[in-house]
Amino acid sequence: MWYSLVVEPPVVIERISELLDRDGLQTSNTSMRIPTALRDAAALAVRELGVAASATALTTAALRATLEAVVMQAALDAHYEQHPQARPDLGDLAVAAAELDGHPLAVEPERLRRAAVEIVAKHPDASPDDVLLWAEARALSAA
Amino acid sequence: MSRIVVLDNEAVQALQNPAHPKHRRVVSLAQVVASRKRRAATVEVAVPTAVRVEAGWDRTSPEWVFPNRLRIADVPLDAVRASTAAAIRHRTEVSVADAHLGAVIQSTSAGQQITVVTSDLGDMRLVAGDRDITVVAI
Repeated sequence: MWYSLVVEPPVVIERISELLDRDGLQTSNTSMRIPTALRDAAALAVRELGVAASATALTTAALRATLEAVVMQAALDAHYEQHPQARPDLGDLAVAAAELDGHPLAVEPERLRRAAVEIVAKHPDASPDDVLLWAEARALSAA
Repeated sequence: MSRIVVLDNEAVQALQNPAHPKHRRVVSLAQVVASRKRRAATVEVAVPTAVRVEAGWDRTSPEWVFPNRLRIADVPLDAVRASTAAAIRHRTEVSVADAHLGAVIQSTSAGQQITVVTSDLGDMRLVAGDRDITVVAI
């Protein structure tokens, strides 16, 4: 929080990134207050489902993933501001999402782009995964 | 289920250069990864260090500031991967960078899904051996 008073946002992002790069051998105790039910759910998931080595490891991994996402998004947003032509539209993102997962519709990018245009007309905040689902449903109903 | 997204030389080049014809395409992939990480999906982007050498990606150079900020992890050519890469190169005659990429694929844990972003679909299938990979052809 103190960073926001004294450091420019790009410098904060750089600093967060540097800290994420450091090894995790040095640890600190922290008195973080979290909802009791969330703590109990995490303990149960670790003990019964083996989702992580410990509740601390689970919390740390989730925190790291969130911070990495924040850093990545900040870098992407800054890039889009500087190079507006690089900003992908919903169709581009739907194609990319399908390709990353090896989704069967990845080989039909035009179908995905059409689905993106259709869905965004009614749901401007639709995600790439919403587009995939919509395109899949349309493909099934057309079959 | 976690996923690793591995970049080849051209994917790296396209990411770095806004004038590259495939820049927006590779940025789209990075954007999807960022959005999924935000939703707590276990997904990471990685580059074999030999690919980084081939692409000229110097992390200390200001020319590479954008890729540097995308949390793309280096996968080093350590002793074990060097042996795997040497065997792949001997068997397939691919470049050192592609052999390292193959070693990265083959050293990935069995439960992890692998996506390779590449301009050379055929070589990636060759170096992957018997590992099941998803290939994004750019």
